[in-house]
Amino acid sequence: MTLALAVAVGVLYGTGTYLLLQRTLTRVVIGLAMMGHGANLLLLLAGGSPGLPPLIGDATRERGALADPLPQAMALTAIVITFGTVAFLLALAYRSWALTDDDEVEDDVEDRRIARAPVVPDVVIEQEEP
Amino acid sequence: MRALVPLPLVLPLVAAALTLVAHGRLRVQRAISLVALTATTAIAVALLALVERDGPAVVTIGGWARGIGIAYVADLLSALFLTVAMATVLCVLAFAVGQLRAVQESRYFHPLYLVLTAGVAGSFLSGDIFHLFVTFEVMLLASYVLLTQSGDDGQVRPAMTYVVVNLLSSTLFLTAVALLYGATGTLDMAALGDRVADLPPAVREALRLLFFLVFGIKAALFPLFFWLPDSYPTAPTSVTAVFAGLLTKVGVYAILRTQTVVFGVGDGSPDGFILVVAGATMLVGVLGAIAQDDVKRILSFHIVSQVGYMVFGIGLGTRAGLAATILFVVHHIPVKTALFLVGGLVEETTGSGALRRVGGLGRRMPAVAALFAPGALSLAGIPPFSGFFPKLALVQAGLAGGQYAIVAVSIVVSLFTLFSMTKIWAGVFWGDPEEPPPLARAREDGPLRPPRLMTAATVGLVAVTLGIAVSAGPLFDLALRAADPLLQAGAGR
Amino acid sequence: MGVALVAALAGRLGRGVYLVAAVPPAAAVVAGAVVAPDVLAGRVLTESHAWAGSLGLEVQLRLDAFALLMVALVSGVGVLVFLYATQYFAGGARRHATFAATLLGFSGAMLGLVLSDNALLLFVFWELTSATSYLLIGTDDRRPEARGAALHAYLVTGGGGLALLAGLVLLGQQAGTTTISGLVADPPTGPLAEAGLVLVLLGAFTKSAQVPFIAWLPGAMAAPTPVSAYLHSATMVKAGIYLIARLAPAFATSSTVWRPLVLTVGVLTMLAGGRRALRQHDLKRLLAYGTVGQLGFLVVLLGAGTPEATFAGCLLLVAHAAFKATLFMGVGIVDHQAHTRDLRRLSDLRRALPGLFAVMIGAGVSMAGLPPLLGFLAKEEAFAALREGGQTLVLAGVVVGSALTVAYTARLLVDGFLRVRSGPDVVGPGAVARPSWAFVAPAAALTVGSLAAGVFPQLVDGLVNAAALALDPAWEGYTLALWHGFTPELALSGVTLAGGLAIWRLAGRTGRLALPELPGGGEVFESGVHALQVGAARLTGVLQNGSLPLYLSVISLTVVSVPGVVLLTRGARLALPDLAANAVQGLVVVVIVVAAVIAAGTGRRFAAVLFLGAIGYGVAVLFVIQGAPDLALTQFLFETLSLVVFVLVLRHLPDRFAIRPPGTFRLFRAVVATAVGVFVAGFALVVVQARTAPSVGREYLDLALPEAEGRNVVNTILVDFRGLDTLGEITVLIVAALGVTSLVAVARQRRRGHETAAREPELEEAGA
Repeated sequence: MTLALAVAVGVLYGTGTYLLLQRTLTRVVIGLAMMGHGANLLLLLAGGSPGLPPLIGDATRERGALADPLPQAMALTAIVITFGTVAFLLALAYRSWALTDDDEVEDDVEDRRIARAPVVPDVVIEQEEP
Repeated sequence: MRALVPLPLVLPLVAAALTLVAHGRLRVQRAISLVALTATTAIAVALLALVERDGPAVVTIGGWARGIGIAYVADLLSALFLTVAMATVLCVLAFAVGQLRAVQESRYFHPLYLVLTAGVAGSFLSGDIFHLFVTFEVMLLASYVLLTQSGDDGQVRPAMTYVVVNLLSSTLFLTAVALLYGATGTLDMAALGDRVADLPPAVREALRLLFFLVFGIKAALFPLFFWLPDSYPTAPTSVTAVFAGLLTKVGVYAILRTQTVVFGVGDGSPDGFILVVAGATMLVGVLGAIAQDDVKRILSFHIVSQVGYMVFGIGLGTRAGLAATILFVVHHIPVKTALFLVGGLVEETTGSGALRRVGGLGRRMPAVAALFAPGALSLAGIPPFSGFFPKLALVQAGLAGGQYAIVAVSIVVSLFTLFSMTKIWAGVFWGDPEEPPPLARAREDGPLRPPRLMTAATVGLVAVTLGIAVSAGPLFDLALRAADPLLQAGAGR
Repeated sequence: MGVALVAALAGRLGRGVYLVAAVPPAAAVVAGAVVAPDVLAGRVLTESHAWAGSLGLEVQLRLDAFALLMVALVSGVGVLVFLYATQYFAGGARRHATFAATLLGFSGAMLGLVLSDNALLLFVFWELTSATSYLLIGTDDRRPEARGAALHAYLVTGGGGLALLAGLVLLGQQAGTTTISGLVADPPTGPLAEAGLVLVLLGAFTKSAQVPFIAWLPGAMAAPTPVSAYLHSATMVKAGIYLIARLAPAFATSSTVWRPLVLTVGVLTMLAGGRRALRQHDLKRLLAYGTVGQLGFLVVLLGAGTPEATFAGCLLLVAHAAFKATLFMGVGIVDHQAHTRDLRRLSDLRRALPGLFAVMIGAGVSMAGLPPLLGFLAKEEAFAALREGGQTLVLAGVVVGSALTVAYTARLLVDGFLRVRSGPDVVGPGAVARPSWAFVAPAAALTVGSLAAGVFPQLVDGLVNAAALALDPAWEGYTLALWHGFTPELALSGVTLAGGLAIWRLAGRTGRLALPELPGGGEVFESGVHALQVGAARLTGVLQNGSLPLYLSVISLTVVSVPGVVLLTRGARLALPDLAANAVQGLVVVVIVVAAVIAAGTGRRFAAVLFLGAIGYGVAVLFVIQGAPDLALTQFLFETLSLVVFVLVLRHLPDRFAIRPPGTFRLFRAVVATAVGVFVAGFALVVVQARTAPSVGREYLDLALPEAEGRNVVNTILVDFRGLDTLGEITVLIVAALGVTSLVAVARQRRRGHETAAREPELEEAGA
């Protein structure tokens, strides 16, 4: 794994996170997609050094020169899953837009209410007369 | 027997496909779901009995050598969790059929519910870390869609929190898997245990903590849990209930399994970091519950608090601690689900779960009150109900390990939990509503009748929890034996 | 002896249900009487069933003479209370069945408690009594005071119960046994055992309303009177005393903290209870504080751990149960007939209720410790035990406490029944209806018994002696007598009586008595609960603030910083790798980095998506360079699909993102983002260099052709070796398609008011 590839992974994760931490759902989706790219790349890179495509049968190719196929299989699965989730999230953004003409992620209403509401003493203990 | 092992994943998936084909024919869908889940529950019970008799069964799908094919592992731990989970799923299905309006149910409820079940079952059985990621995704995707099914205004916003946080956590999980594979070159959990042991301590420890925290998001540990109370309460009760009972527990299971088998926790020495997280989770969760005034939100915060207890046992790193955690999960799945179902009964009959809009239901629906009490006391760890036993086991394990601070925290949190449960009790079953409840029939006086099928489903689950209390002794022995393989993995280095 | 709740389930009988409910305790009395000769002769009956043995919890029951005494009290008073309840609840629509079932449940739990030899089983019943007490105090659930009182009682006793649990577990672990008989036979010592004892005592003190936990008990008077008479005077509050009595003979000598703690708390409670009782206008609260004082007395006697004090304690236990239940029932009758129990509103009550007044005098005399009732015998024995034990200071405290008892008894009987008052609110004798004989009978029975036992002590002699012997094998036995001659105890009794009357006169005249007051009122609890609620709300308001970006920041930062710090501090090794494999790789990386930075910074939606696409294609190229053409192809395909989906959605949305005011959060975001990026990249390099074993993936290269008959190894993995992953992957896609379908359908339905399912194309897309 070269430094350049590590930088690519790091930048994808970093910018992905940066986009994720915003209120616009579109940006959040793009951020997640970028992190997904980073993760797929990482899967492949962490698997080992590059090699020839893992295809058997060509006598000229030595087994040792072939790339580790397992990370490739994992990354393939991951790509498809990421696509599914991103598509769903986009549908959610569309739905949100249909509801509010907006794709901003607002703060949770109930949380804000609880945070602002005064605490009313609801436990009544009968006090003795002095 | 070995043929049974992958069935809890496959059977619900096949049924899901069938219900998808039967789209629009509700009765057929119900029948398929019911048969499939009953069968899955029966298979889980059979697996438990067989594992108990013959020892763990490892099946690699396709018959490949372990490490080449994906290993499905039915040991006492996974079979036990699977059994409880499937029984719970079955009860909630009955509740859902009773609760959901036909239009809600006919949108893809049945296929999604079955897929969710398959994902949960696969997560319990998977002995392969990448496949665990896949089953997690199956489970999560189904949960995303279930959560947004009705597409109501009030649901989309909380669903976003849920989906985005879980997508982040999935990405981080995948990252962790990539790093782990990079360091070890294998995905099989048993093999991982050996290879991780050879890694430099810094790498091993960093990987361990990374996995702990990644699963900690799903399990809802402090400070990673904030998404949960925002998103769970907004779904239909049947959905929330099964989420509450199962999803965080799958996270706990993943922590339990990986921390021990892969990373060697459980060698008898406590883990300070896990214990601190456990204590903070218990405390912050229960304080959050105290601050709420809606039944489902109170219960949601308690999920967090209770997960703290489960992790507490893992942090102790002893046989007794792990067994306590296992028993805790076994008790918690049905109890928490049952409590949410009771909350659903209240909502169904009055139209609201807000404490100020309901009241006096103890007079009007004594049966529902009677269903709530065992669960509530269980949650607070009050005997003779099921929650007492794992809590007793935890206190014993904690004191035996000299971890007085965390034991003290757990006891104080028990008291706070009790306080919070009395708040629900006094708000829902005693007194009078401060504001009129939304449904007209609830505003009049006189007895209220909760729907029969929903009540029956709740009764079924409460019966399960009482059964757990009665057979707590054998169950704890089972938990001890289930903990043994985890310990051996830890002691092997 | 089981909790025959079944009886109550058949409970559509109205008030008759109480008669049914009286059957199980009556059966317990009969059963007790049957085994009594054996048990009094020193035989111990035991029974054992398995429950959770590996947790130390077994159903181990043990009936010795002390337990028999308790059974007699619990069941005997129980029968009378149920009989009383049939009259008390005459008229008025109550949920009798629920109430009777709960009361009966309590009764069963209490029996279980005194019969448990297993300490954890005792705890189980202990908590059951607390829970049933909560329900019973809250019977009038529409009154906020009743709910508050129920909560107060439950949290205090429940909290103490949890301390008790921890204490019992500690003691059990030190002793290696969880049976009480085992603990007592060989008491553990050492700091942990002492800590355990303190926790156990904490539990006992809360349950028995000792200082500083006295306030819940008067509050519990919000319950209907049968409950007060049964739980909060005669039985449940004795649970703490019971436990102390069981442990005292062993631990008073083996432990250094036991005696000072128990005696101090007991005496203080006796004084505080008596002091507060004097101030009350509500007769029921007066009795409640009187109970507190008497419980303090019992703690002193049964906690002292000397055989003589234990004996005196057993005697007082019986006497107290009898007179206090009577007095409560009597006050309940007053309340029922006069519709008030405020003594300022009662006038010349003896004329209205002469029969009841006679009964009350009997019980009051016993409470004040005057001859010839049982209370007198008990108090004499107590004084003697403390004097002979050399506990002068404690004796002095108890004498003052007894004087206070005399004083509040006088307040009850004289101020409550004899005083003639007038005023607008006053209920004169004419306004008070005569109670039926059946209403007074249970109370009368107890008083008659008390009188008989005082005059003919041999009636209780055998039981109390055997009980004391069961607690403390050192007890030599003693024959009770009403008259012992002129002893120092008699003199002390005289002092008590004179002093008590003086205090009563003084208190009555000034209205206020300059006696020191101990803290521990309900206000402490109320402000405690409020503080907890405020604290919880503040903390939750800060942590759970509803902001998704904040949640994500905390999650990201936590997940990367904890392992990151470990990597840095534990000294993970990292050698600097090559810059790039070749120029193409370097170039592609530069493109990706630039595209990523632009995508992150741009204010336009389409631009961001386009650059995301560029990144995707760039990554595909990197895949090719790494030797993964299949992967690259898939990446290419799905990136294109993603772009299409993005565009489909984004064409509805405005081109520019909403402009948010830049703030410190942007900087924070950058910090979190950098941390995540650096962590992942750095950790990736570290793990790759830390690898020792070869990858399992290599084995597929050898297996693919012979085993799976495929030349494309990645394909064989996907469809064969790890086919289950692919099954999961397809499931994910289908589910996502369902989700997209229904969301889009709902959105369209809303926008057009018409449902058009766009299911088919989505599914096709998913299958791609």
